Amino acid sequence: MVLLSAPRWLRSRLTDRFWRVQEVLKYARHFRGRKNRCYKLAIRSVRRAFVKSTKARREKKRFLRTLWITRIEAASLEHGLKYPAFISNLLKSQVELNRKMIADLAIYEPKTFKSLAALAQRRRQEGFLAALGDGKEPQGIFSRIVHHY
Amino acid sequence: VARTSLSSPPWPEVKLPEPAEEAKHHAEVVQKVNEMIATGQYGRLFAVVHFASKQWKVTAEDLIMMDNVLEAECGDRIRMEKVLLVGADDFTLIGRPLLGKELVRVEATVIEKTVSWPKINMRFQKRRNYQRTKIITNPQTVLRINTIDIFPALL
Repeated sequence: MVLLSAPRWLRSRLTDRFWRVQEVLKYARHFRGRKNRCYKLAIRSVRRAFVKSTKARREKKRFLRTLWITRIEAASLEHGLKYPAFISNLLKSQVELNRKMIADLAIYEPKTFKSLAALAQRRRQEGFLAALGDGKEPQGIFSRIVHHY
Repeated sequence: VARTSLSSPPWPEVKLPEPAEEAKHHAEVVQKVNEMIATGQYGRLFAVVHFASKQWKVTAEDLIMMDNVLEAECGDRIRMEKVLLVGADDFTLIGRPLLGKELVRVEATVIEKTVSWPKINMRFQKRRNYQRTKIITNPQTVLRINTIDIFPALL
């Protein structure tokens, strides 16, 4: 005869509860207080920790960019230039280093940073002269655009 | 003209040096740098390379890890072509925006192609019974920069 439903003495029991709980607790072991031991408190803290780390991965890029800008500003002020003047003149001279690179150069290669600051200062002065002069193309040497074809 | 607040520009008066003198000075500097490169008087060179949509400051015997796949086998030698800046102790060559391929040569070898540690992406909204967890492992490549060479072909 064919039995269409399972008999009553067959039970479906959860046998790996321990390991399911350990999967969560392993991420909470370095927390402070009872939330590193008790599952009910740990599951809440672990969820918040994961969500915070997901969001922080996006914020990290913004934070690092502001850090680089602060460092470049400090280094360029040591050479007598403000950050907007430095960055805009560097871009106008077709030097396409990004802020991470310029900040690293300012820390580890001070002579190179000094030459970049001098380049930006010279381009700035040529820009002033061009603004007063009203010529067709700027007369200065560092303002000439390099054409790559 | 009477001196008012708008009769002269707000920036201090600028005087550039004479173009003839300046050209002479520039030629001297270029000649000195050419001599230094030709006689090999530079020590360790560093370069700023644009690679994998990022800029890296690189020297010889350096390790670099990219967060993506490179279509080259382990042990392949690679030449990085987009060099933005090369520097030594006494001189720097700044590219506008790139330096020529006949001027600099940056060689690297692919060492390792692995996968990153499992990062957990979780979205959770409270009191709505909504949580999604995703484990992401992005492929990574490790390169070692072998050499940076400059050739005396300046101007």
